[in-house]
Amino acid sequence: MKKILFTVGAALVLLGACKKSDLELFPYNQVETTQAFNSEGDVQLAVNGMYAGIRTSTSYYSGTWNILADVLADNLVLNNSGRLSMKAFYEWRYTGESTYNLFAHGYTITRRANAIIENISKLPKTAFTDNATGEALALRAMTYFDMSRVYSKTYTNASDADLTIPYTTTTDPSITPAKEPVKGFYDKVIADLVQAEALINATNGVGRLNKAAVAGLLSRVYFYKGDNANTITAANRALGTTPNLPNIATFPAIWTDATEAGVLFKVKNTSIDNLNALGVNYFQTVAAGVKSEYTIDYSFFQLFASNDVRKTAYTQTSAFNNVLQNHVIKYKGRVGQPAGVVDAKVIRTAEVLLNKAEAEYFTNPAAALADLILLKSNRYTGYVPEVLAGPALLAEIQLQRRLELAFEGDRFFDIKRRNAAINRDAVHGENADGTGKPPVFATMEAGDKRFLLPYPQAEINFNTNFTQNPGY
Amino acid sequence: MKKLLQSLFILLFVAGTAMAQNRTITGTVTGKDDGKPLPGVSVKIKGAKGATQTGSNGSFTIAVPTSAAELEFSYLGYVALSKGISGSVVNATLESDAKTLNDVVVVGYQAVRRRDLVGNVATIGNKEVANKPAMSLTQSLQGAATGVQVTGASGRPGSNAYIKIRGVGSINASSEPLIIMDGVQISSAAYNSINPNDIEEINVLKDAAASSIYGSRAANGVIVITTKLGKPGDPTIRYSYQYGKAEVQGLKNVQLMTSAEKLQYEYELDYTNPLITSAISTANGFPANSTITSISADQRQSVWNSLIASGAGDWRKYLLRKGNNKTHEISLSGADDKFKYYFSLNKNDNEGTEINSFFNKKGGRLNIEYQAKDWFKIGTNLGITQTFERQVRETFNTQNLYASLFLYNPYEAVKNTDGTYNTTMQGFSSIEGSLNNPVLYNRINSYGTLFGEAKFFKHLTLRSQIGSTYNTMKYESYLKPGSNLATLLGYNQKNDQGNQDFFYTFTNTASWNQTFAAKHNVNFLVGSEFSKDALYSYSLTGRNFPTASVETLENASTPTTASTSRSSYALESYFGSANYNFDRKYYLTFSARRDGSSRFGANNRFANFYAGGISWNIKNEKFFKADWVDALALKASAGTTGNNNIGNYDALGTYALNVKYNDLPAAAPARLPNPNLTWETNMQYDGSLTFGLLNNRLSGDFGYYKKETKDLLYAVNVSTTTGFATYQGNIGSMTNSGFEGSLTGTVVRNKDVNWSISGSFSTVDNKITKLYSDNVPNGYGRFVVGETLNTFFLVKWAGINPDNGKNQFYNIDGTTTEEYSSGQAQLLKGKSPIAKYFGTFGTDLRYKDFDFSARLYYTGGNYILNVMDQVAASDGENVNSNQFTEAFNYWKKPGDNVHYANPLDPTQNVTYDTDKYLEKGDYLSLRDVTVGYNLPVKYAKYIKSKGIRIFAQGTNLAMWTKFKGIPEVGESNRERTDFAGTFNLYGYPPLKAYTFGVDVRF
Repeated sequence: MKKILFTVGAALVLLGACKKSDLELFPYNQVETTQAFNSEGDVQLAVNGMYAGIRTSTSYYSGTWNILADVLADNLVLNNSGRLSMKAFYEWRYTGESTYNLFAHGYTITRRANAIIENISKLPKTAFTDNATGEALALRAMTYFDMSRVYSKTYTNASDADLTIPYTTTTDPSITPAKEPVKGFYDKVIADLVQAEALINATNGVGRLNKAAVAGLLSRVYFYKGDNANTITAANRALGTTPNLPNIATFPAIWTDATEAGVLFKVKNTSIDNLNALGVNYFQTVAAGVKSEYTIDYSFFQLFASNDVRKTAYTQTSAFNNVLQNHVIKYKGRVGQPAGVVDAKVIRTAEVLLNKAEAEYFTNPAAALADLILLKSNRYTGYVPEVLAGPALLAEIQLQRRLELAFEGDRFFDIKRRNAAINRDAVHGENADGTGKPPVFATMEAGDKRFLLPYPQAEINFNTNFTQNPGY
Repeated sequence: MKKLLQSLFILLFVAGTAMAQNRTITGTVTGKDDGKPLPGVSVKIKGAKGATQTGSNGSFTIAVPTSAAELEFSYLGYVALSKGISGSVVNATLESDAKTLNDVVVVGYQAVRRRDLVGNVATIGNKEVANKPAMSLTQSLQGAATGVQVTGASGRPGSNAYIKIRGVGSINASSEPLIIMDGVQISSAAYNSINPNDIEEINVLKDAAASSIYGSRAANGVIVITTKLGKPGDPTIRYSYQYGKAEVQGLKNVQLMTSAEKLQYEYELDYTNPLITSAISTANGFPANSTITSISADQRQSVWNSLIASGAGDWRKYLLRKGNNKTHEISLSGADDKFKYYFSLNKNDNEGTEINSFFNKKGGRLNIEYQAKDWFKIGTNLGITQTFERQVRETFNTQNLYASLFLYNPYEAVKNTDGTYNTTMQGFSSIEGSLNNPVLYNRINSYGTLFGEAKFFKHLTLRSQIGSTYNTMKYESYLKPGSNLATLLGYNQKNDQGNQDFFYTFTNTASWNQTFAAKHNVNFLVGSEFSKDALYSYSLTGRNFPTASVETLENASTPTTASTSRSSYALESYFGSANYNFDRKYYLTFSARRDGSSRFGANNRFANFYAGGISWNIKNEKFFKADWVDALALKASAGTTGNNNIGNYDALGTYALNVKYNDLPAAAPARLPNPNLTWETNMQYDGSLTFGLLNNRLSGDFGYYKKETKDLLYAVNVSTTTGFATYQGNIGSMTNSGFEGSLTGTVVRNKDVNWSISGSFSTVDNKITKLYSDNVPNGYGRFVVGETLNTFFLVKWAGINPDNGKNQFYNIDGTTTEEYSSGQAQLLKGKSPIAKYFGTFGTDLRYKDFDFSARLYYTGGNYILNVMDQVAASDGENVNSNQFTEAFNYWKKPGDNVHYANPLDPTQNVTYDTDKYLEKGDYLSLRDVTVGYNLPVKYAKYIKSKGIRIFAQGTNLAMWTKFKGIPEVGESNRERTDFAGTFNLYGYPPLKAYTFGVDVRF
């Protein structure tokens, strides 16, 4: 009997050896979403997370954004000795299956902003929460604006029926939104930026959005909207009374991150982050020399005057496999640091000044000329102020825009904004002397369907409220 | 000491029982095979109380009552024998019985006699997995059992295989069957580190009746591995040695261009490569602005000849090799009445067929079982394996050696004139990369099981077992100073990663076995189990090494990252089973299990699984009189199993804290919550018939199965406008059904010759039956109700327009267009990466001491998007990399009816993903040919050997297919996670191997 009791007892102890709490296990590097906004410290982490979202996206400022608008336009020519990266964009052969992926990446970033805006009211309103809200609003608006530039018509070219991406402001995962009219979308971008400018600190530093940067972004959006008066006033707020452009001696240091002068906002890329995409988008250095993915369009390169500081800061003529080529070295890297690792410049004073100058051309040409002279005197050695008026003035402002913002993610969108055609140098190839292979496709007519990049097919397949751009 | 105890025990026993007896019988028991004494044989008096066992010299002494007439001798692994008592000496000779030995199957937490199994269990014996060269254990399972489809992931030494039991149980590519070795779950990666010769047998649990007791992990089937234990008799020392060579399987139906062909192709396409540009430069005496067309034909030919002369020609010579593999193995095993043991050591060195890659392993095993008391035994199984692997990159670019083979032009040189490696037009030398950017894996896998088992009151068995696996991995990846990649990146770097993974399972069972009235056999089992896994991992990086000869991170002057992480999960289970049979004619079985997993939300943490089965052994019926039928049985079962094969914390919505910006901490959304995340469950039905006819000269089985899987675990899509693409969830239901059968016929069976032919087939009909939300996009595979999982969804190609040489595509409405539009992609019904049938044909021939076997493996019904063909026959898009000769077959003039567009038309210089490159994956492969010779014992004994075997084996010697390339596609390549078999993206190529081996037993 004792043996039976012992046996049964032992069996019961062994068979029932576990506890319920053994199954309550939580991750070691994550916090539940419901617990992610309990304090100002939590919010600060989430704010940093938004910027980290830009840094880690391969399609945005720390990714291929610094070459996309140049590859799509007329600043570059494919180097057939390169890796033929982004060739489908260069030849305008994108499809819904192979389109630019800022769509998904952009919404990943704006979702981070939306979560902050939704949750900030849990905390008492303070200067800190205002600043965080301002950063979130501005970053969301900036990202949506850039996404819209990729996939949609710009404001001045859009009719009331033209649509763009949904301006999602919720973190609800069940939404399947439809596209929105371009015009209303721009109003939302502007409303967010205006609100942000009021809330955000002036002293966040250029590694974060700040009051001047938000004003600069506003000037960019008003400029695309064709609202000249507001472009000018926003630009004036961004630039202050004495715009720091900076001067010829300092200018090259912007590109090696040795100075922050002239930069309103940039996405930091530390040597620990070590992202070399910005540099590698353009070239890598191998035994045979600088090996570019794209070299500079022959005709465009001729527009860089020899006394233009941008010629040496942006370009380098050197041999690859004993053949001279014009390379883009704007992102070659910091001095003494790994190649191609630099901060991603999002908005600079020079762009704001050029937005302003072009707006002033229509309202106050004298001011436009003054701005042009201000810029040029800080770029051309021995520059003598000139007198320009009429279409020549406009042409010069637009040329300076092309030169100043070359290889910086502007050209394609600028052509699209002006509803112009893309005309590449159809005769010359990738080598410095113009030999090599000229572009297979040299021209895209104004208003061509391919100015609107296709939306990802995956979203259209899943979200039946969403439709593809015409012609894809 | 043991022998002394043993003798003492016998003495005491004899002394204690002698008083009631009045006769003493002695004798010796020997084995029939070798005439040697057998220790530990049970000796019983028929019809009376009293029993003993033979001692170490095979002798026994037993006191018997006068009425006793017969003694019964029984011994595991031998046919039981009854012998009449005449005189005071009774000697017995026992015949070994291989069948009896294999008759016990350890499945479902207990040992069951095979003939009493109701579940559908396929057994793969040691012979089928041992001595297989150059291939992982998983791959050697291919074709070994019906319903078990094994696709090698790739030919990389040490690589895994995809094991699918009866179709695609789950959608996730990583879903694999539950593998239990000696009672503990192991991963399929660890599975490959096991020494195949340590395996006694592998049982594949195919139906619910067999697998349901494993509950929530069993949805993809269960594989139960039992390692060896010594067999009664003298200790046996076994030594085996194998030496082999492996090479890459050749491409089928396509061929890379030679230098001359490629140069001609480039000329036709008006493409001038950089080598020609410099060859016709002014430096070489050509006028300025010369082009390949402006110079004379003779000059052109001489430029070409110089390129052909300086080029590598056949890059296979430099990128691939014949890999050696060598195996040494030694084992010692034996058993007596109380103590069984198996000890082995092995060493296996495997060179990859891509240069600079290898997989070496060393291991050992010690299995012991000790019958401490007549009611209590303990045992342990301990195994440890160390593997050391050097991997080469498997990217979709020229960092990958195998991709380089297709991309490098044959007229490009391996090295530059200064002796450095030529980075070629592709910009990278994979040879240099594989030398100077080494990637090393060093793993130690250890397995330990410790159990105690006690029997009480004749019928009750209690068993308690702790099993654990402790695996460590060290990964080192070094961008050496001075390497090409380090120069490109502007820094040299070393990254060390590693992890420790400790998993344990504590299992307790109680079982009751009893026979009533000699005909009612009853068995009950109850048990509980708790498992927990804890994973710890680290990653360390440093830059700026002084020189390539030092490689530890202490030498890096700039440490950059240091991170560690942890993860864990737990599973808590209760289970039971009941088995009943009447007179071994009618069988009933029932099992149930309740599992709780930490991976699911609190609301759905626990789930129940159950199964029932019946079996009818018709042969045992009295009314069944057909003598020519040796075996005939019918089985049927139904039941449920589950799948918890998801991430550890997938139910939780979280913010990740391992994020930073500007070197400051940050937080970012990591996952959407899914409080309703629940188990994937399978309802499986199974019916089968087993038969043996004409003295078992014709035997086989046929069966049908149907698996209905619901609440499929998969990433559920959300609109990307939410900032997420997916969350982990349950998306719908799917069925797999099919027939399977095998047939073996013995053509000749006599003393000298045994010749048999066998064949098997298995079919899989996979269909999605329900989706909770529509149209889950997944690359080129679609989920559509009524169609096979991952049915291809592509734009249909409509051929080349003979008038203008342009590609044409079908719109969804059936019209054709020359404009590709991804919006016109459509579902290609019936075309998916899932094979619809597979099986084997084989023959085995033994003539005296020689044996020969051959096995063909076939599979088909699946489709593969042939990306390698798309790249190498690219309508001019990839004119700068090598092409297949079929690319010459392009449109040249109106009226040409050809497969490839006019490459001189720039609008055609782009290949879109269309069904032009979607090909059938059907193939037939001569998987295995073995020729062996067993040296007769009469010769072997001169060197005191119990047997010597010499064999030679060929693997994958021939293949028949219409696919362009190699249709045996597992993973796209190691660095991708596509659904297995969808694409071929230059993964490590499958092997062809030759092996010689010798096996000696003492």
